[in-house]
This record gives sequence, structure tokens and C-alpha cells, in this order.
Amino acid sequence: MANERTTPVLRVEDLSVRYEPRLGTAVDAVKHASLTVSEGEFVGLVGESGSGKTTLAQAVLRLLRKPGRVANGRIWWGEDDVTDATENELRPKRWRDVATVFQSSMNSLNPVVRIEKVFTDVITAHSDSDADAAHERACELMDMVRIERSFLRMYPHELSGGMRQRVNLALALALQPKLVLFDEPTTGLDVVVQKQILDEIRRLQAELRFGAILISHDMGTILDFSDRVAIMLDGEIVEDVATDTLLTGGPQHPYSVHLLGSYGELLGEDVEGYDAAGLKAVEEREEQVAQIQEAVEVPTIVEITNLVKRFERRRGFRVEHVDAVTDVSLTLRKGEVTALVGQSGSGKSTIARIITTIESPTSGQVRYHPEGGGEPWDITRLNRKQRRVYGNAVQYVFQDPYAALNPALTVAYQLSRPLQNYRGMTKQQALDAAAELLEQVGLTPAAAYLARLPHELSGGQRQRVVIARALAPDPTLLIADEPIASLDVSIRAEILELLQSLVLRRGVGMLYITHDLLSAQMLADHAIVLQNGQVQEQGPAKEVIENPQAGYTRELLDAIPNPFQDRSVA
Amino acid sequence: MRYYARKTGYFLLTLWAAVTLNFLIPRLQPGDPAEVMVRQLTGRDGEIDPTQIEAVRAMLGYADENVFVAYWKYLQQLAQGDLGVSFTYYPFTVGEVIGQALPWTLGLIGVTQILAFLLGTFLGTYAAWRRNSRFDSFISVGSTFLGNLQSFWIGMIILFVLAYELGWFPAVGGYGYTTPGWNWLFVADVLSHAFLPALTLMVTAPIGFILGMRNTMVQELGGDYIRLAQAAGLPDRKVALGYAARNALLPTVTSFALSLGVLMSGSILVEQLFDYPGMGRLMGEATSNRDFPLMQAILLTTITIVLTASFVVDLLYGVIDPRARKSR
Repeated sequence: MANERTTPVLRVEDLSVRYEPRLGTAVDAVKHASLTVSEGEFVGLVGESGSGKTTLAQAVLRLLRKPGRVANGRIWWGEDDVTDATENELRPKRWRDVATVFQSSMNSLNPVVRIEKVFTDVITAHSDSDADAAHERACELMDMVRIERSFLRMYPHELSGGMRQRVNLALALALQPKLVLFDEPTTGLDVVVQKQILDEIRRLQAELRFGAILISHDMGTILDFSDRVAIMLDGEIVEDVATDTLLTGGPQHPYSVHLLGSYGELLGEDVEGYDAAGLKAVEEREEQVAQIQEAVEVPTIVEITNLVKRFERRRGFRVEHVDAVTDVSLTLRKGEVTALVGQSGSGKSTIARIITTIESPTSGQVRYHPEGGGEPWDITRLNRKQRRVYGNAVQYVFQDPYAALNPALTVAYQLSRPLQNYRGMTKQQALDAAAELLEQVGLTPAAAYLARLPHELSGGQRQRVVIARALAPDPTLLIADEPIASLDVSIRAEILELLQSLVLRRGVGMLYITHDLLSAQMLADHAIVLQNGQVQEQGPAKEVIENPQAGYTRELLDAIPNPFQDRSVA
Repeated sequence: MRYYARKTGYFLLTLWAAVTLNFLIPRLQPGDPAEVMVRQLTGRDGEIDPTQIEAVRAMLGYADENVFVAYWKYLQQLAQGDLGVSFTYYPFTVGEVIGQALPWTLGLIGVTQILAFLLGTFLGTYAAWRRNSRFDSFISVGSTFLGNLQSFWIGMIILFVLAYELGWFPAVGGYGYTTPGWNWLFVADVLSHAFLPALTLMVTAPIGFILGMRNTMVQELGGDYIRLAQAAGLPDRKVALGYAARNALLPTVTSFALSLGVLMSGSILVEQLFDYPGMGRLMGEATSNRDFPLMQAILLTTITIVLTASFVVDLLYGVIDPRARKSR
């Protein structure tokens, strides 16, 4: 569909961007990158955080700020070389040649003016249309992204995240730009809303035929949307091929192989040349679980019956109720993984917080079955000793490994502290045990990691440390709250594999909280789908995912693109 | 609408608390004001006739009563604007004394504050827009330096140079030998007298606004909506003023009311230095003469002014920040 004869809407040649801070050494964030976008072409740009994709976007938009600067190469918008253009030369071209939708929809609209004002500002800055004409155009644009025109009279904070991003999309199209650059446009939105926004982008792009660059770290979306995929690693574009070629012929660069492979592994697809992280296939795992469960009757760890959590919020003299969790029952057993799936606000984290006794239930019961039998304990009425035992038995793996570790303390300290506190070890014993834990979570040799501070570790390594810390008190139940959500795609499979192996080897139970059915399928034996605090569906994970009954489950499943399947069908 | 109702509620509540504290504090402190006054009037250190004290007490309205009755009476008197009789300016009432001084201070501080706000906001905005430029460094470093100086020290330098050495402006008083009245001569006289105290306050008053505005504006300039505005090719002026400054102004407006209190306390020393016939000088006099009714009344007036200012600012905030109206 790319027309060879017309000038591409964007051409970047041999571009290098260098950050030269006053203190410290200069860093090349983008190295010799070349990228071309033809009219109406959809280009996907993938890479992990820190790979330089946003810097590239800033350079393309000519919005680089000090200390960053273009060190080498040229940028064309259509036929104009804009590499050295002054702001005054650029201004009339901006938003006509290249428009953009930014990452955080929260702050990209001026918070103190009505939405209409933002539209009229942009429209009148580029044309001599009067207020009426601008209003007319704004209304058209709102129709285009399917939002009521009356929302123009509102302020940004009165709109939901998804709505705001639609408004941003409408705003980007205000002047019928030749190229729109989407910089992670759905980050921070709910899965289902993400899907809606992306669909909207796709529909409008097909209709209006603007060139598009979609920056994302979500391999699925990129493969699903783009005509062509560019993969970035450490500031370099290591792969730039048509999407079909990537899927059929396989990627060339080892990093692309890894990226595509680890993504494919989650979908259960093989990618040639990819050395799998070793996630066990569903059947194999079932076998193993069955073996474990056959040997002994599977002991229950935590049993939840008819759990209700109601939050109260005072508004003046009125009290509003929000039911975060309504009548949820579930049982967590040893050696089993139960997935709690739902969008944000579905109440899944509230359940986790209740199990960890951070919150107390409004009604219903949470009972803990202590090891070695005996009467189950009601976790809201634990005495000091029981509280200690329970605190050992239930451990939490946090979502964001960047925030879950104290940045000022070494790995050794953070791991040995719970050992000393909970298991009464001496300092030396605790250090030895900490080293062993690191080996268990795949950080070998342990000695190399003990003395490090969190900022010296990568995201994946940090998450491994967080998991090791959760294992330190020798728990029987792990609560993993979106453990891979804030990790880069290429390491998600590894972390899932680690969690899986812990369940199989140590026989711990796990409550796996996620919005992503895909990973639930890989890891979980049971799945519970939550919406607005209510259980929509529950049962064996395989059945729930392969044969969903509730409409909401299907909605969640639809939100997951599977480019491998799409292509093979087509 | 609820926002305004709540803000009004808060205002009334704080005002009531201030009024009540004002009633309680003198009753909690050791020493009997009536005794102090008798000593002052008679000039004796020795024994005092108790009947004299009783008489003074009755005159000041400090008769022995139940605290609640006294409180009720106090509120009634306050409602009628009756703040008692000044010891220092006996037999003038406190109300009259303050009525004389207040316009001077309001004029001096009001004008300085508004000028300081305008100048500070403007300089702060410009420094932030041209951040890391020479102008920015000059403003930032200069502000930090001047901000550490005491206003009465600055006042002495100014007094010495501009009044004594150069003789351009009169050194003391609120006006000279003209007769008060609405004529040009008197207005000019008042202005020339007010210039030096105002200048002294103006050296430090804008600094809070400059630094506050600069810092919030630098932060706002990093915001996504600014990048979007720039990507959309809006004119610089629009981006700087309509987008960044408009948002950065919000916290600065809040600090307007708070800094009014700071400025008023700074004016106490400055007014004394220039012998300016305002509230600050009055406060000094009241303190050194242990004129409790006057001190109380000055305190009350000051609190009321600052409270009212922050109330007005709160209401204004609802207008300029749509988010505040809706927040819980």
C-alpha cells in the first residue's frame, strides 16, 4: 500500500541523538537510526524502556529538550528538511505535517481550560478560521472519535482516562495531519479501554489514511496493527521489516528473535530460533500437579467464604457506599495457582489486601488452615502468636519492582532481614540463606548480587529479588499482584517461568492477580474472573479461557491480539 | 456551589476560633491588667488601694463575673465594634485608635503587596521561560541573597542614604506640614512619606512570589500539555502565558494571602523605624506599655485581615481552578 512515487511523510536518516548533561558523561540515546513512513503507512516501533524510542519520537517531533540534541543525521517532514529548522520555520508545519498523541493522557490537556478552548487554540493558531468555524470543526472531530459534543464544555478532569485519550486523538486529527505519532497512547488505561482506543486509532487510520507511528512495548498490539515493524535496542533500530515477513519468515536479529519468541511463548506459539524460557505447556504442568495432588490430599491454605468489602466515603453529610468485593468465595490450596483476573477497579487487589490483613472484610470469612492440621483460624481474630505464623505463611510479591525495594539498602540486607526476623537466624546464617534464595530465583552466582543496591539491577533482576524476599520466611502461600505488568516484554516469560517452577518445586500455593488472561492461562490451575467486585466466572483455568461463558470474559479475551493466529487464518 | 458554602463555613469557624482565643489568652496570663494600669497611672511601686483596682476593673469591663457571662458580653461588645478602652491613649477607645492607624497600614501594605505580587509573578514567569539563562541565574541568586536580609536593616540603609545623605525623601512620619484632606498637596505629601517604607518592604516582598512562580512554572513547563502545545505549534506567548503561567499561578495565588501575614509582621519594625503612623508602630507602643486592650484589638484586626484575605483568595481559587470546585 505504500506508494513508491510519492514522497514519504517522514524520513529519518542516520539519526543520532546525544544527551550531554553538564555533569556526567554524554550518552547516545539514539544511534544511527533510519526510518521512513510512507503515506498511509502504519509503522510500529517496539523496544524496552530505555531503548530510546521516546527520544527518537521527541527528535522526530523536533521537541528535544536540553541537554539532548541531534548529533548526526537528518529529518524530513514530507519534502522539507527540518533538522535545523528554527522554531519559527517549524511552527506553521507543526500539527499539519506531524501531530502526536502522548503517553499520559492524564496531563496532556491544559487542566484549567475547557476542552473546546484547546481545540480552538490549535485550530486558530494554524488557520484564520474564526471562533464559529473552529467550534464547528471541534464538533466534527468529537463526532469522529464518537464523543458527545457537549463534552467540549467540560474540563479535562471531568472526563475518564479513556475519554481524555479520545479527545487527544481528536485533537491530533484537528488539522488533518499527514503523520500522527502515537507514543504509547494506551499506557495507564484499562485493558478493555485500551482495546477501544486502539480500535478507534485503527478505524480512523483506515478511514483518513494518515501515516502513523505507533510506539509501544506491547508486541501484540504492534504486530496486530502495523504494516511494518521497527525494533529498537539500545538506541539502534535492529530490525525494520514488514510485519508479514517478521511473522512468516521470522526475525533476523537475535534480539528480535528473543522479543518475538518470548511473546509467542505466552501465546503458545513457537518462533524459530527462540530458546524458550522453559514455561511448561499446560498438559505437562497438569500432569505434574496431578502427581503432587495424588500423593497427598491437597491441603487447603486459605479459604474465603462470602467475602464482602464495602468502602464508605463521606461526602458532606451523605455517606456513599462502594462495594469493592461482593460475595466472593474461593479456596487456595498448596501447589495450586489461582488466577484472579479483572480490570483495575474489579476488586482483585482488595481481596489480596484482605488476605494479607491490610484491610478487614465487611462480612464473610477468611480462614487459614495452619500447617499440621488443627482448627482453621479466622484471620481477623488472630492472637499475637498466630499473627506471626500467618505473617510467615502468606507473602506478597509486588507489582512494581522499582518501588518494592528500598533503594538505600543492599540486596543482602533486604533478604537477610526477614530471615533474621521471622526465622530467628543469626546474621551469618541469614546471609548464607539469602545466597541460597538468590540461587533459587536464578540469580547466580549469588555472591555477585548480594552486595548490590537495587538501582544496579535490571527490572527483571529486581523482580527476582522481590520474589526471593517473599520466599525468605518459607511461606506456604504467595500472593503475586501483577508481578509482570511493569516488566519489559522480553523478560515477562522468564519471571512467569520462575513463579511456575517455585510452585512445582516448593509446592507453595499462589494467588496470581492479573488483568491479563494470557499469562493466567500459562500459570494458573484455577481462574476467577472478577468485574466490579463480583465473580463473573470461575473454574479450571483451561476451561475458563478456552470456553468462556461470561460475556465479560470474552471481552477480556478479545482485548488480546493474537497476530500469529490472525495471520495464519488470513 | 458546595465549594463556596464549605469555604464560607471554614472562614466563619476560624474567625470564631480567633475571636475566642483573643478572649481567652489575656485571662490565662499571669498578672492583673487592672493592677498594671493602676501602677501606670499612679506611677507607684508600693502598695495600691484595692478599691482603685476595683474601680479600674469596672471601668475596663473586667468586673468579677462568670467566664461565660464575660464571654457573652465580650461577643456582644465585639458585635457593636466596642473593643474597650486603650490604656495608653486613655480615654480614647481602642476602636478610635485603631481607626486612625489602620488606613495608613492598609495603604502601605496593600499597595506593596499587590505591587510585589505583580512584579514577582512577572519576573518569576520570565525567569522560568528563559530558564538557565543569565537573567534566570541573576534573578534566582539575587532573590536568594536579598531574601536573607532583614527588612529593618534594609530600611536603615535606605533611610540613611535616601533620607539623610541625599535628602530626597522625608525620613519620618506619615505626612508633613500639610493639612489632611483630599487635595493634591496632601496626597503628594503622603506619597513621598510612604515611599521609603514601601521601598523597604518592596526589597524583600516580591522574593517569595519570584521564587514560587519560577519553580512552579519550571515544573509546569515540563508538563505534557506544554509539550503538546509546542508540538501543535502554538505561539510561544500563548504557551508561556495561556498555558504554563496560567497553571503556575494557582499556588502563587494561595501564597498571596499567607505572605500578607508575613508582610504585616515585617511592617511592625519598618513602621517603627520610619515612625509611620500605622498599625505596626501602634503594636510596638501597645507592647511596651502593656496596653492589653489595644494589643488584643490589634491582634484581632490583623487576624481578621489575613483571614479575610485568604477567604477571598479561596473563593477566587474556585474561579480560576475548575478542579478545586469539584474536589471533595
